[in-house]
Amino acid sequence: MDFYKIPYLKVILTILILFLFSDLLYAQKIVRYDLYVKDTTVNFTGKPKRAIAVNGQIPMPTLTFTEGDTAEIYVHNELDEETSLHWHGLFLPNQYDGVPNLTQMPIKAHTTHLYRFAIIQSGTHWYHSHTQLQEQLGMYGAMILNKKEEPLIPTVPIVLSEWTDIKPENVHRMLHNASDWFAIKKGTTQSYSEAIKQGYFKTKVTNEFKRMTAMDVSDVYYNQFLINGKNESQFSQFKPGDKVRLRISNAGASTYFWLTYAGGKMVVVASDGNDVEPVEVDRLIIAVSETYDVIVTIPQVAPGSQPISFEFLATSEDRTRSASIFLGEGIKQLAAPLPKLKYFEGMKMMNGMMKMSGDLDDMGMNMSLNQMDMNLVMYPEITGPLKGKNEKGRKLEKVDKQDKITGQEKTTDRESMKMDDKNNTAESEHADHNKYNSNALSSITTLNYAMLRSVKSTALPQDAPVKELRFVLTGNMNRYVWSMDNKVVSESDKILIAKGEVVRMILYNNSMMRHPMHLHGHDFRLLNGQGEKAPMKNIIDIMPMETDTLEFAASESGDWFFHCHILYHMMSGMGRIFSYKNSPSNPEIPNPRLAQRKLFADDRKFHFMAENDIATNGNDGEAMLQNTRWSIGSEWRLGYNEHHGYEVETHVGRYIGKMQWLMPFIGFDWRYRKMGIDEVESNLFGQVNTKDKRSILSVGVNYTLPMLVIAQAEIFTDGILRLQLERMDIPVSKRFRMNLMVNTDKEYMAALKYIFIKNAGITAHYDSDMGFGLGLTLNY
Amino acid sequence: MKSIKILMAALLLSSLLSSVTLKAEIKEVFAQEVSTQNVKISGSCSLCKEGIETAAFEKNVSKASWDKDTKIAVITFNTTKTSIDAILKKIALAGYDNDSYLAPDDAYAKLADCCKYERTVKKLAVIEKPTSDHQHGSITDTKKEGVVMADPLKPVLVAYYAVKDALINSDGNAASASASQLVKAIKAVKMNELAAEQHKVWMQVMKDLDFNADHIAQTKDVEHQRDHFSTLSDTMYKLIKSAKPSEPVYYQHCPMAKEGKGANWLSQIPAIKNPYYGAQMLNCGKTTETIK
Repeated sequence: MDFYKIPYLKVILTILILFLFSDLLYAQKIVRYDLYVKDTTVNFTGKPKRAIAVNGQIPMPTLTFTEGDTAEIYVHNELDEETSLHWHGLFLPNQYDGVPNLTQMPIKAHTTHLYRFAIIQSGTHWYHSHTQLQEQLGMYGAMILNKKEEPLIPTVPIVLSEWTDIKPENVHRMLHNASDWFAIKKGTTQSYSEAIKQGYFKTKVTNEFKRMTAMDVSDVYYNQFLINGKNESQFSQFKPGDKVRLRISNAGASTYFWLTYAGGKMVVVASDGNDVEPVEVDRLIIAVSETYDVIVTIPQVAPGSQPISFEFLATSEDRTRSASIFLGEGIKQLAAPLPKLKYFEGMKMMNGMMKMSGDLDDMGMNMSLNQMDMNLVMYPEITGPLKGKNEKGRKLEKVDKQDKITGQEKTTDRESMKMDDKNNTAESEHADHNKYNSNALSSITTLNYAMLRSVKSTALPQDAPVKELRFVLTGNMNRYVWSMDNKVVSESDKILIAKGEVVRMILYNNSMMRHPMHLHGHDFRLLNGQGEKAPMKNIIDIMPMETDTLEFAASESGDWFFHCHILYHMMSGMGRIFSYKNSPSNPEIPNPRLAQRKLFADDRKFHFMAENDIATNGNDGEAMLQNTRWSIGSEWRLGYNEHHGYEVETHVGRYIGKMQWLMPFIGFDWRYRKMGIDEVESNLFGQVNTKDKRSILSVGVNYTLPMLVIAQAEIFTDGILRLQLERMDIPVSKRFRMNLMVNTDKEYMAALKYIFIKNAGITAHYDSDMGFGLGLTLNY
Repeated sequence: MKSIKILMAALLLSSLLSSVTLKAEIKEVFAQEVSTQNVKISGSCSLCKEGIETAAFEKNVSKASWDKDTKIAVITFNTTKTSIDAILKKIALAGYDNDSYLAPDDAYAKLADCCKYERTVKKLAVIEKPTSDHQHGSITDTKKEGVVMADPLKPVLVAYYAVKDALINSDGNAASASASQLVKAIKAVKMNELAAEQHKVWMQVMKDLDFNADHIAQTKDVEHQRDHFSTLSDTMYKLIKSAKPSEPVYYQHCPMAKEGKGANWLSQIPAIKNPYYGAQMLNCGKTTETIK
């Protein structure tokens, strides 16, 4: 008996060991990447500019892993500044999430940092710098996580991005100072003269009456759009009849892309790295930082005929430019370019939705999931070309008619619409809705979130406690403040959640821009009417007036960022931090208080602007430092002689309220002027002042009136009261701006400025103190 | 004061001068870097000539001259400013196929009728597509037929849909013809194949169904047909709800039909195609229930 037992055991043991060993080998396959982050010079537009490359390339190298691998990524920071890398869409331990000052300290200049985590999922993801505005400079790349068994179909990673010749810091500053240079470059000034020419004068007046500036679908003008770092490229390895899976990630800092294909319909098979049931569409819009897997077919050609390659076209949402790849070889079949937007139609639509309070009114339409696209009033391919040009004009008429009819019916029907179950929205097509439903209005099928259906059940545990959170996305375009519930990151507390909970978020967008909201480290279920097959995503694009509901299982620990992925919105503070209760302390954050202060510094940052007019009758200008709530501004008027005088007024104020129309301030006024003896000035209230030499404090308040007129009341310590009305930058034509000012000191001013380059213009102005002048205006 | 004025004048003057010299330089470069190429471009008439030449023209950068007999365009351009490829792309986007690019279909479609040249290359590529589509379609069709056999009410529903589709198109003749088919289908239902519950409902609704279908068949007046279609739809709803249809049926409602009283209909597709108004208000309505 014993004789037999020993070898038997031995065999079992060896088998066991072998098994364990091979298993270990399999599970512990370590995939190492070394990433060298380094300054570089690029030339996308004919001008050499600074960018950041990793391993010498933009986009950064594609990182490929297989589910079950362990990733070891060494980041060698060869920059003279800090950096970080965030693995977008990945489930990983909190300390490797790559958010500087939240999950780790920044990677200091000329140091190396290791990210090491197990790959426990599959799908198309990407990675990017989470430090300052580095993403805009080229720090983005694809991250492909393969299943253990991937379907056998050729696959191409597609990284969409954009390039601007203006330094990102400057872009950010310009946005905060309401520069309209981007609008000039895009041709979207929407000035009064353009409005009159196109027959939209009333629309423009209403728009300004409601205190709105020109509307646009995106904030920044880009010089170039890129697919895998190139504006155009060809994949000639594919043959007619081939199916190709494009693993697309939108690494643009602030650009949404329309995706179209010249070779027929596209089949969407995954979103944000999660498989969905195949959906056939003509086009889709990919939000900033979203990913989609799309299968395209290269059409057959008849035997013996010339080969054709087909364009896959990515057009920026504002339709200024596009980037493309050609699939296959041979003569290039172009995709139809997207026609220019009808901006004044958009403005009209916005007017209808905007209440005088600055809130948006969806007129009871219960919008969600991108199904109703208000912007489609601007899309000529859906709603017909700009006013009655050719045969497509008829279609427009039809829409108008429908519009009128629904108008009558609205009252009776609002009730029934309210009854709609939220889960039912996918099915409840209604005429009122259809006005903005591009799939109902045209033969073009556009993807929306309601069409995404997961391939497997994504239901969350029924018995888990549910924490329900509601957020309103808020914003102020004029001052470029973006927030949630009118609070930026530094003004709000972390949101505490507990492991094991289901966190449900109901998000309503009350701002005028769409926001791609991204959750770190988790996928959430998007409740889109697909029941237990609700798709899993980590990005949800929410258009103005939309409400979306999403939920996720709180299964991790640590601090996770939830933010708008438009880079400039995020840096302005549009986000929140989810923090797990009782998390172990993060070894990467030795000093949490310091880290928090550094994190909050991002949205507390002050932005500087200055303008000076060197004119024949004097020198006047202003400089301003502003952040989310505070404004420190100084205006000066310096004459060329004592008779004209010298004057500097400084105001320090704080913006109040969501729309920031109200700004109380304290001021300091200094003047020196030499007038004739006994000459005095009186104001409308009969108060007398020589203004010869004055150095005085004041308090006052600014309020933005309809038509964007700023009313100012200011009382000085010597008892003098001054009321003033001022309207700056009236868009007269594409490049002409008018300023008007009048106050109770019987001072008035009118100026007309022509903007000829980003930082300079010519101004003609008349000023009650200094008379007529012509000058060169420089601005920063 | 004076010195500042002088300074400013000097500044303005110098900037003016520099821009003038700059322009002169550009012109010089232009003279050196001009290239001319002959390219074949599809087109058929003098309107095409205009279209091609306009598309290729950019002031001081490029221009083209196209001959409608030889189909050859002589393209002259500044090589520092643009490339032959970029110009050919613009021409294709205007609707004209050439050796490098094929025009997008809708750009071609927008060309004037006289200008719709024969698309030799493009045509070949398209031929294959419909056949593959057709194959695909026929596969699903046979599948559907298989299911039909199992559902005794299916022919009624199919005939009903045909009436509905005719009304969507506001086609009184077709509606009448389809309704006659519906009457036949109703008569052909084998009651012994119906489930007990279904049988009960069938007995209740059969008369109404027959009555309304017959009335639609008797007239060619679309409005009259729509009146009966409304009642017919309500009865159909009762019937279908009692059954388990093999494919989802969408119960849809338009609040405006029948002068604001509202009316319902059944549809095989979730998208709204309103049978009560036709093209006038095709998309009015919503799905109130999905019967599966």
